[in-house]
Amino acid sequence: MKRWFAVIAFLLLAAGFPAAGHAKDDVDLSIESIKCLQCHGKKGIAYKFQNEESVEAYVNPAKYRLSVHSVLSCSRCHTDFSTDHHPSRNFRNKAQYRVRSSAVCRGCHTPDQIKSKSVHADLLTKEREGASPVCTDCHDAHSVTPVAGGRIIRSETEYCMKCHRQKMTMTCRNGDKISLNVSYSFSEGNAHDKLRCSDCHYGFSSDEHPKRNFRSRRDYTIASSESCRRCHFDKYTKTLDSVHNTILSQGNLNAPVCNDCHGSHQIPHMSRGVKGRVLTTHKCRKCHEEVFAVYAKSVHGSALFNEQNTDVPICIDCHTAHDIENPLTLEYHERIPQICGNCHANPAVVSKYGLSTEVLNAYLTDFHGVTLGLYRKQREQLYKPARPIAVCTDCHGTHNIMSSVSSDPANVKANLLKRCQKCHKDTNENFPNAWLSHYKPSLSKFPLIFIVSTAYKIFIPIMGLGLLLQIFLHIWRYAVNR
Amino acid sequence: MKDGKTKIRRFSTFRIAEHWMIILSSVVLFATGLCQRFWHVDSAQWFILKMGGIDNVRLVHRYMGLFFTFEILLHVGVAVGGVASRKWESSMFITREDLVASIHNIRYYFGLENHAARCDRYDYMEKFEYWTILIGGFLMIVSGAVLWLPTMVTRILPGEIIPAAKVLHSNEALLIFLINAIWHIYNSIFSPDVFPLDTSIFTGYISRDRMMREHPLELARIEGVEPNVLLGDGPPGVEEKAADSGTG
Repeated sequence: MKRWFAVIAFLLLAAGFPAAGHAKDDVDLSIESIKCLQCHGKKGIAYKFQNEESVEAYVNPAKYRLSVHSVLSCSRCHTDFSTDHHPSRNFRNKAQYRVRSSAVCRGCHTPDQIKSKSVHADLLTKEREGASPVCTDCHDAHSVTPVAGGRIIRSETEYCMKCHRQKMTMTCRNGDKISLNVSYSFSEGNAHDKLRCSDCHYGFSSDEHPKRNFRSRRDYTIASSESCRRCHFDKYTKTLDSVHNTILSQGNLNAPVCNDCHGSHQIPHMSRGVKGRVLTTHKCRKCHEEVFAVYAKSVHGSALFNEQNTDVPICIDCHTAHDIENPLTLEYHERIPQICGNCHANPAVVSKYGLSTEVLNAYLTDFHGVTLGLYRKQREQLYKPARPIAVCTDCHGTHNIMSSVSSDPANVKANLLKRCQKCHKDTNENFPNAWLSHYKPSLSKFPLIFIVSTAYKIFIPIMGLGLLLQIFLHIWRYAVNR
Repeated sequence: MKDGKTKIRRFSTFRIAEHWMIILSSVVLFATGLCQRFWHVDSAQWFILKMGGIDNVRLVHRYMGLFFTFEILLHVGVAVGGVASRKWESSMFITREDLVASIHNIRYYFGLENHAARCDRYDYMEKFEYWTILIGGFLMIVSGAVLWLPTMVTRILPGEIIPAAKVLHSNEALLIFLINAIWHIYNSIFSPDVFPLDTSIFTGYISRDRMMREHPLELARIEGVEPNVLLGDGPPGVEEKAADSGTG
């Protein structure tokens, strides 16, 4: 009831004095205040503490006139002082002075009044524990305005930003400090510019400001990321299947959560352009620095960074963004040809670079590709463990993929032999040539295979038809003779 | 004239055993081989999974290939030994008469001749089948060995030999399969002359009528008479054929 009364009174006040700030210009200061400002209204005046720290004794007259305390004379707060009396004070340091000053505020502002604002709850608790909250940390001493600063608060965000644009911190149990200062932008670049603070910070409002107590800064980040699922439930469920979530649930708190990649208050819109793609790789880089360095030098990475090429894959194209799988599993290994094939079998992507789209098919129909496909089926249907079969990345590399066009053929062959020898022990340099390097046999490339294959392609149908013709004639003759 | 139903010994027990071994190895090799060639077909994948996976299929295929190699070597060894010791006539060798007989039969089918070609122990169709399978068998053994032991092979031969062997093995298998599926199965089961089954390779015996019709020159030699005398004025009648079908 009391609260409603306050709200109604406030609205009436706001309606009655739409330009409250300007009206204040006419406030008449007390004679005492005018007299004090004769000295303290001049810049440069300061007080020095015993420890050589100093505090500015200057009071901005204009701001003071606008302040909620302008109706008071100086001696209401500075109790020992008057127009006749200006005692000399002696403080050890600035901290002692600030604590003392705060005590003055409490002369008027009772604990009940302070407690009525939920934002003060944490401070009062600290005070009970022996800390000394300093009012002037948030409320400037001489320019303190009404809560709304004389303005009408139009939105919840504005309300919250009243305090959270200030520099303030929250201390965790382990001593970590978390900045509560929000550099919030209402620009259109912010994907969340239409949201209210409480959409994410549920439980908080202009009425409620519960006290939170986190063990560490990391705990706070992880807990905050839980808010995202309220809107992005599909992405959230995907992350539950990700390797990041797995290691997080195993106790590794460094595993990334939503906020780590997407940020918290300045969340940009998704960009599929080169800028967005580069930005994405840099997000992964935060943890995977070594991989990033290797990728940046690869044919894909250099095309992205040096040529602003959007055709080349970035981290999430192969690893996905949310349901990131452990790439060291057999299941992932088996899917690699399809992952590479997403681009390399797509004419719209690779044809312009003079690359063949037959590479995937050439692999899948060859010995390794066939075995890989059958192993996958066996694993799925017979629950039979399968051996890892050489896939694209085994010969071409993973993050360090180089251009097959510009690579030294001798080097490529040497690497290939090394890979072959992993499974096929004691093979010599002839062995890698058993792989046709994705080429389709022709008279110029692998003529022996082309000739054998073509000969059978001609001979088998001719022979089949010849035999069928013989059979037909034999039956026909039999029928005629009959 | 002797009774047409008289049984004449055509195949020895060794040949009957050889045929059984070939049936066994062919069925297993075709089943485990074709499912690898046509791996993308659902039924092939079903078979591979029923076999317990591709590794099992390959294992069975390779060891049955070894058994097949043994059969072929045994067959060639016995044949070379038999011919060399002059015990046997080289009745399977292709001669000029086979070409003449094949042209004669085509003409006969078109009604240009009044009787079918008169053949000796093996007619040109049997020889064609035998040699395609024997030569094909050798190609399969060699290319199969290359695919089984690629590391050893590439120590002395270029790497390209492996995919070449794969193409050869795969296509030659299909060729042999088609010869068997179309030609051999027709001739020994579905041909009106033998339907429902030519049993001679299982029993070892053939009727005198079929000998007269299909291998008259051999029959004449067995009976010690001139072929012209044996055959009389005309060729064996079609009516005779129909009456005698299926006796093997």
